[in-house]
Amino acid sequence: MSTLLDQLARRQLLWQGDSQQLAYRAVASGYPELDQQLGGGLPATGLIDIQTEAGIGELRLLLPYLQQQQQQSQRLLVFIGPPAELCADMLAGSGLELSQLLIITPGEQPAFGQSSDELAKLTQPAKNPQSVKKLSPQQQALWAAEQCLQSGCCASVLLWPAVISLAQARRLQLAAEQGAASMIVFRHSSQALSLPVNLSISLKPDPQGLQLTVLKRKGSWPAAPFRISMQQKWPVLCLTGTAAEPLRQAV
Amino acid sequence: MALFIYLHFPALQLDHLQLSAESDRQLPVALVDLQHQLVQLNPAAIKAGLKQHMGLASAAALCPDLQLLPYQPEQQAKILHNVAQQLYQVSSDIALDKPAGLILRLEGMLQLYGGLKPYWQELSAKLSALTYRYQYSCGATPYAAKCLAYQQAGLITVDNRLFDKALNSSPLSATELSPAMQQQMIRLGIHTLGQLQSLPPAELARRFDSQLLSYLGRLRGDYYHALEYFQPEPGFSRYMELLYDISDSNVLIKPLAKLLQQLEQQLRRTNCQCYQLLLSLFFRDNPPLKLSIGSAQGEYKAQAWLALCQLQLENLPLPEPVYGLQLDVNHFAGQQHTTEALFNQHQARMSALQLISLLQARLGHAAVSGLTLQDQHLPEMASKRSLPLTKGAIGQAVLPLRPAFLFTRPQPLTEAVTINQGPERLCPDGWQLGAQRDYYIGRNQQGQWLWLFRTVSQQWFIHGLFS
Repeated sequence: MSTLLDQLARRQLLWQGDSQQLAYRAVASGYPELDQQLGGGLPATGLIDIQTEAGIGELRLLLPYLQQQQQQSQRLLVFIGPPAELCADMLAGSGLELSQLLIITPGEQPAFGQSSDELAKLTQPAKNPQSVKKLSPQQQALWAAEQCLQSGCCASVLLWPAVISLAQARRLQLAAEQGAASMIVFRHSSQALSLPVNLSISLKPDPQGLQLTVLKRKGSWPAAPFRISMQQKWPVLCLTGTAAEPLRQAV
Repeated sequence: MALFIYLHFPALQLDHLQLSAESDRQLPVALVDLQHQLVQLNPAAIKAGLKQHMGLASAAALCPDLQLLPYQPEQQAKILHNVAQQLYQVSSDIALDKPAGLILRLEGMLQLYGGLKPYWQELSAKLSALTYRYQYSCGATPYAAKCLAYQQAGLITVDNRLFDKALNSSPLSATELSPAMQQQMIRLGIHTLGQLQSLPPAELARRFDSQLLSYLGRLRGDYYHALEYFQPEPGFSRYMELLYDISDSNVLIKPLAKLLQQLEQQLRRTNCQCYQLLLSLFFRDNPPLKLSIGSAQGEYKAQAWLALCQLQLENLPLPEPVYGLQLDVNHFAGQQHTTEALFNQHQARMSALQLISLLQARLGHAAVSGLTLQDQHLPEMASKRSLPLTKGAIGQAVLPLRPAFLFTRPQPLTEAVTINQGPERLCPDGWQLGAQRDYYIGRNQQGQWLWLFRTVSQQWFIHGLFS
């Protein structure tokens, strides 16, 4: 019987539940709880979908991972369409190389370095708009993301999109595989559309750090929600046991 | 013995125009000068029976569907200059003979190429690649070569007797003499150059002006003929007039590709690359639109430049149809090759600089930036958007507890928050106590970590998000 099983297993006709083969190379995330739950860490390539509200610690969760990605391959880190200005102090403080960082803000039109006033004067009275395909900022962001991923000179691309469709996600996933890069998409949890990604997680705020739910994981199945403690890395950004009283109700 | 080749281009401007439109060769086209005479004809027009110096009326009678374009001497001069630049790769001493000729001195070149035949082979290959029609001949002096080239003698030889024979039977119309002088000669019964040269110079000097004698002296090589030899200029500048006005910026790519090909040829020959192109689009009513297209890495391949131009043109609404393109490159730089690791498994498709050029071409320069840390304590001044891939000052102290995202305009606080840490008092430069801010770290009901500050007048604002 066991010879038969061996044969079947060798021909990959038999799949055993206890030996989970990771579909991707994992990079340690810097949080032991997360590494344990995800079988090694976050994927080094491909799409990572993060469903989260802004400002609850989603970037802090990723910083050690991004730092490793950047350092291992000496490649670029690209932020596309961040919700506000990025703070150099915080990023440099967590070990990111600022000169290997690229910020793309789609939709910022006037170009310095060109004869912009002349250009603006000429482009205003355009009566034939049908000849020019103007891309919306959203499309520009996706285009830039695809170019960065394909180029092979970016380690990770972070994208804050308004909305992303199934076909777009598929394209980005292919581009990421091609350029051996990872792409992290931050979405609001309200957009519950499931995407073809390597890893999809949802984050909830927690007094001690973050509450993490694995929604989807390639080559495996989701685990129960668990808590990631940030007490060690960011003690100031965790509530201690005796929660301080709300200081002030603003008018 | 001195030897020269004269190249005569009978229809330079017209041939150049037709380069850009292959499909319309069948159409008879002619150039007309200000006196309404036909100056240059394309093969279809010659086939229809038209001749040079024909009046407009007879031309229209012979060929009703003739297309006419104005003859532009300055345009022709530019093209001739370009031809000289191309031939300079093969031959060193080239003198321009405006409006339509080039004089090539061969003395040094024969030694270099080892004879006239291999030299001519090289030169004619170059000329046929240019696709302009040309007439040529060798000659012992510039004027002799010119005279023979005008008759399409096509002599490629070093034999002096052949030159003399051909020159002696040349008609006066192929010479440099003015039409009035030619008329005078014909009335005297002198029809060929041979007849003229057999007359004693003293007699000629008595009857005619010095112009004739100086021409004959230079023709025979008795007088010195000073030539100003061409010096190639650095950079690249080409103008292309379009046969039709183009109103769609995507269609502009095709003629532009031809210009870029020429640029690539020139760059490849000199083993150079360039970092910036200046593309000017000419409109009938509006002032020309100037675009600068940059590549951070430097390129010489037409394909790479075309992709960058395409991205920029796609975003560009044209105010009206374009009738001409001008491509300028002011500065060439030596080519640099990037080295790659031997054992690196992953091959990058492009370099970081190429990626940045690509993004900038499509999204504009302002949309792509880097980030540098400044030596400032105020949060809004500590982070600065800089040019991509710039290194900031090294060894700057980092303030640890700063939010990842800073709002450019602080937002008023409108909800209950739990303060976790603070205050941290920041005062603007010059101790303006009225503008000092006390910063706190707080958490709101949704679990978001906020960076708050309180002004002197006890107003609360959100300045950032600890993401």
